[in-house]
Amino acid sequence: MSTALTLCLVAMIFLATIGAPISLAMIASAVVYLFVKGQDLGLAAEQIIQGLYDSFVLLAIPLFIVAANFMNAGTISDRLTHFCLALVGRLKGGLGHVNVVTSIIFAGMSGSAVADAVGLGKVSIDMMIKDNRYTPGYAAAITAATAVIGPIIPPSIPMVLYALVSDTSIGYLFLGGILPGFMMAAAMMALNSYISHKQNVPLEEPIPLRDFPKITMRAFPALMMPVILLGGIYSGVTTPTEAAAVAAAYAFIVAAFFYRALSLRDIYTVMRESTRSTASVGLVIGAALVFNYIVASENIPAQVSLAMKGMEISAMTFIIGLNILFLVLGCLLDASTIILVIIPIFIPTCKALGIDLVWFGVVAVVNCMIGLITPPYGILLFVINATTGIPLRVIIADIWPWVAVLIVCLILLIIFPEIVLFVPKMFGYIPGRI
Amino acid sequence: MLKILEWLNERAKDIASVFLGMMFLTFIVQIVFRYVLNLPLDWTLELCLTLWLWVVFWGTAFVMEDQDHVRFDIFYHSHGEKGRRILTFIYSACIVAAFVISLPATISYVTFYKIKKSMTMGIRLDYVFSVYLIFAVAIILQYSLRCWRVATGQPFEAQSFYAIQIAPSEAASLSETKAS
Repeated sequence: MSTALTLCLVAMIFLATIGAPISLAMIASAVVYLFVKGQDLGLAAEQIIQGLYDSFVLLAIPLFIVAANFMNAGTISDRLTHFCLALVGRLKGGLGHVNVVTSIIFAGMSGSAVADAVGLGKVSIDMMIKDNRYTPGYAAAITAATAVIGPIIPPSIPMVLYALVSDTSIGYLFLGGILPGFMMAAAMMALNSYISHKQNVPLEEPIPLRDFPKITMRAFPALMMPVILLGGIYSGVTTPTEAAAVAAAYAFIVAAFFYRALSLRDIYTVMRESTRSTASVGLVIGAALVFNYIVASENIPAQVSLAMKGMEISAMTFIIGLNILFLVLGCLLDASTIILVIIPIFIPTCKALGIDLVWFGVVAVVNCMIGLITPPYGILLFVINATTGIPLRVIIADIWPWVAVLIVCLILLIIFPEIVLFVPKMFGYIPGRI
Repeated sequence: MLKILEWLNERAKDIASVFLGMMFLTFIVQIVFRYVLNLPLDWTLELCLTLWLWVVFWGTAFVMEDQDHVRFDIFYHSHGEKGRRILTFIYSACIVAAFVISLPATISYVTFYKIKKSMTMGIRLDYVFSVYLIFAVAIILQYSLRCWRVATGQPFEAQSFYAIQIAPSEAASLSETKAS
């Protein structure tokens, strides 16, 4: 490692630790790197600008954000919750199941776990802690954990980022996330059942079955969103980015005309909120791309690949080692940073070892999403703390069983790659050797 | 004077929302022309990429507030107000320093593109990229202002970059929620 890179990393870690915004810390330490190297300081700007301006796939991100915000503005979370209440509310631990199922449906509309937690978190948690049926810690923990499904079931912003750095097909990555997403949901429902039985949570008043058609009709336009999105991509009619635009347009039409929940003022608010999130996400991506450039110009990916070859480790050992590394990093770093900066270091090694990149991408994204709920740095814990006021230590005390269940799912994905690859293969994907 | 600044900031936010709205509409136009009318357009993609660049940097400069930034603040929040002031001063000064020393090279990078025009719409690329300069200058101003606020003992957390003063009670409640 060169002196310039060492100083750059030291500056980055120092600034991020003392509380600087991560994106600005990355840009500032990139300037340190260029300065020590005696390179043109304008290179930092060049990498950010070109990185954002040349990447067509990234355009899907603001559109996914707009779509999710339109859906949220259009009272969708209430309708979905009501629908899921009718569907699984009568079971033991019903509200916990409702929480999981709304997350699955919401995951099909939004590509970000944070959007999922913001959109559903407050409604679900309020419902669960009303009348003291569930403890605030349990309600917050299950909501944080189920939000993780958001970016696993397509669409998915993290998968778009992975596609960008690994040159894999977004379509196959999205397909690869479907079964793992449902598997994670099933595992969480099982855990919820177990805990509810143990704590003997009271049953909900069941919603009469004759109301079910009406409730379904109210939620129906929202339920169609994933169908439109995925249908557009896999029928080959639209590119994933265009499908994102269609999804946003559909969300707008549903919210404005079917649900009549959007005034002009609301539309404007949606745009403004979306701009904030877009700028925030875009800046982290841009800054991470500068780091990506530094890592590449130091030739680190090739060196890692060479070193691994020298050690003659097997693909499985490599994957297990990487996953442990990502889990540890996930406790400390932002998921986009891991995907854009750390993962590219190992892509050449994956290729050399013959690891299938779609499978690896889905596993890596699931792993990074577990990082969203692991303390100390778990963005979903912060979001739920901010939207509900439930103290962080209360949420963290209850989060561990959920982290454990998700890690078990991750291990299953590693042992049985078919869980990821089955659906892509049905659509004609030919995986590499694993 | 403050009123004018606030008004300008509000309008800057409007412009950012218009950029994003235009980007969304451009996509719809592209899809309608390609799939419905079977007349693929070539300028839409470039317009979208340009707007995306502008939404990100214009948005960071004028719409995003400090608390919208992704950050790792466990260590930061383990300190009392005085400690947080010192930490904020250090990182803000570092950010200002890095953006200031790279500014001349960044300006020459952007202005270099005056000789080049974009592929389909023929817009001069220095105009397209100039939004990065707006962003860089805004970051320098925002974090210089923050250093000044910290040094002069004013409230400095969770408030608009462009609001010069907020009510003390609001500042107190904000720092309380942050600390919990």
